[in-house]
Amino acid sequence: MANLNTRWRQENTYDAIVVGSGMTGGWAAKELSERGLKTLVLERGRMVRHLEDYPTAATHPWEVKYPRAKLPPDELKAKYPVQNRTGYALTEYTQHFFVRDDENPYTEDQPFDWIRGYHVGGRSLLWARQSYRWSDLDFEANAKEGVGVDWPVRYRDIAPWYDYVERYIGVSGQAEGLPQLPDGVFQPPMEMNCVEKVLKAKTEARFPERRVTIGRCAHLTEPTEEQIALGRGKCQHRNMCMRGCPFGAYFSSNAVTLVAAEKTGNFKLRPHSIVTEILYDARKGRASGVRVQDEATGEVMEFYAKVVFLCASALNSTWIMMNSTSRRFPNGFGNGSDQLGRNIMDHHLGVGAMAEAPGYEDRYYSGRRPNGLYIPRFRNLGDAATKRSDYLRGFGYQGGAGRPNWDRNLHAAGLGAARKDELSQPGPWMVRIGGFGEILPHADNRVTLNRDRKDRYGLPTLRFDAGLRGNETAMRRDMKTAAVEMLEAAGFTNVVGYETPSPPGLGIHEMGTARMGRDPKTSVLNAHNQVHECRNVYVTDGACMTSASCVNPSLTYMALTTRACAHAVEAGRRGEL
Amino acid sequence: MQSRRDALLTFAAAWGVLSLPAGAAAQPAVAVGANLGWTPSGVTLSQAQVLDALAELIAPATDTPGAREAGVPAYVDRTIAGYCTAAEAGEFRGVLDALDADARARHGKGFATLSIADQAAIAATYDRGQKFSPFGRLKEVVLVGYFSSEPGATVAVRYDPIPGDYKGCIPLSEVGRAWAL
Repeated sequence: MANLNTRWRQENTYDAIVVGSGMTGGWAAKELSERGLKTLVLERGRMVRHLEDYPTAATHPWEVKYPRAKLPPDELKAKYPVQNRTGYALTEYTQHFFVRDDENPYTEDQPFDWIRGYHVGGRSLLWARQSYRWSDLDFEANAKEGVGVDWPVRYRDIAPWYDYVERYIGVSGQAEGLPQLPDGVFQPPMEMNCVEKVLKAKTEARFPERRVTIGRCAHLTEPTEEQIALGRGKCQHRNMCMRGCPFGAYFSSNAVTLVAAEKTGNFKLRPHSIVTEILYDARKGRASGVRVQDEATGEVMEFYAKVVFLCASALNSTWIMMNSTSRRFPNGFGNGSDQLGRNIMDHHLGVGAMAEAPGYEDRYYSGRRPNGLYIPRFRNLGDAATKRSDYLRGFGYQGGAGRPNWDRNLHAAGLGAARKDELSQPGPWMVRIGGFGEILPHADNRVTLNRDRKDRYGLPTLRFDAGLRGNETAMRRDMKTAAVEMLEAAGFTNVVGYETPSPPGLGIHEMGTARMGRDPKTSVLNAHNQVHECRNVYVTDGACMTSASCVNPSLTYMALTTRACAHAVEAGRRGEL
Repeated sequence: MQSRRDALLTFAAAWGVLSLPAGAAAQPAVAVGANLGWTPSGVTLSQAQVLDALAELIAPATDTPGAREAGVPAYVDRTIAGYCTAAEAGEFRGVLDALDADARARHGKGFATLSIADQAAIAATYDRGQKFSPFGRLKEVVLVGYFSSEPGATVAVRYDPIPGDYKGCIPLSEVGRAWAL
């Protein structure tokens, strides 16, 4: 037995283990393997190969089983009661990229929409691809306002990594010169349509502090040689991204970082591998590897490495740490601060305004732009003019204009040729903008490990107790009011403000449950995403976030991951891990 | 009969609920006992006859294909059999039964054998634009089925699976119809 164990250990020892293959795991795999580290990526779900495992990428509307490709109500209720809460994402086209809720339970003391994809590539296949930089307005906010703890980094620390990530993944966008939303390395911007151009002109004339720009999205509009060499091509404006892109035109792990990692020869990917805990070597004061439960066979095994990167998504990395208890870490791995699982954040949304835009009936567009408008934050920018007395931080809007196709008011009275002809023409121009608001960190917005409720693998589950609080509620009122006044100023008609409930999770930007900070007593991770109390474990997914900003977070997760990888390799060379 | 039909037609047209190709009003919608060309699985054979007629009534053949040619009746049947909840399937079958019962009460024969004008007059009594009414929802399934079908998506509206470029502001006349997607 001793020999067998020794042999297993030799054969299953790597330089680096990366847990998760999504947005950040793919980047960690690429960066570590390209820097010469033998890297094992452990993914809890099944294999998804670029191109060949996108079964619906070229499916025509007449090839689906159900109306609008929606799953039957009975099936949604039985298998996807949570995943269906987005209302848009789960369809026949995308079903295979979402977890079944009946097989992946959790407990909601307050509603929490936990939207997940357990497979190689994770939610990098499903994301909305919006890519925005943070600014020091975000990084300094906690310290200035006495909220949570201070970020241990500033914009200048992350800026070069934003450059690096943007150049590699390809981000289409328009430079605007705004301090609150720094410009990046952009490929040519996508075009606004007729009515969006009107909204831009009228808004900027009436509200000098507001800017309407085209969304910055991780799509190739002018691929670089490096991107073409990786097998990627230009965006074809199909807007079927969530099915997987046959052109590799938007960034996903599957199409980009995992392909790059594969090319190094230093990379091994093991699907069906649920990491259940981090192995802690008390003698060395270091993690020695991870324990894995095979998702298919139930077999339990161990893998070893000099450094471990947790990139399993914010809440699953947190879950692994909570489940990794030892004499050294009785309350969870690296949790001397008791901050693990606390400060859960997301972006609140579902509030804004919509309107009709008459007068452009003879205009239309061609192509399906997988991107919309962006209106960067214009509140609380640090000057008196934008200061709000009723809430901290701010929000941005996303939205756009378009003409509904035939799928409009189908229940309305009318049968026959005239109705058919009417629906065969585009409907009136409609405009909608919806806010994405910052949520403040709050220690009592938390997730805990529930050992009383096990999943089908016999593993403990998560319990959520988090909700919006006063600052968010006040901000939402303004998000609606400001949206209405913009659409009215643009001269649109039938302007209607709307607000729908926005439980945390629905933004699918959950973050903050193992935050970075300067002090091990009040934070889990240091300025390089290392666990304060165990330096050879890095956490670089959304768990690391100290505050939420109001912009989509993936670009920042990627930048932090690349920075942490460079740090790990250097620290390893210096013998510091 | 003719005058009554005309009166109903006028009524329906005044409410904007019906439009027929010239000369179509007096023609029988379908020959009695016509072969459906598909085997019902979600509805009975007699309900299927009504469904076949109703779908074509909602989206008739014009200069573009109609619902029947687009396979919509079978699509709706499959939806009733494999998509709808039991409750909704029951409501949809109820709509088909009610149309047929009204036809027999008014004209002494089944809905599918009536002229299009007579069918339209009966359908108009249910077609009130109510979002959640069984008829409104059934009509929605018919129209989704039609515009999602290959003839509907590619002939009645414009379908471009791989547009290539995005052009944000062009004359509608360059496209001519709504996009399928």
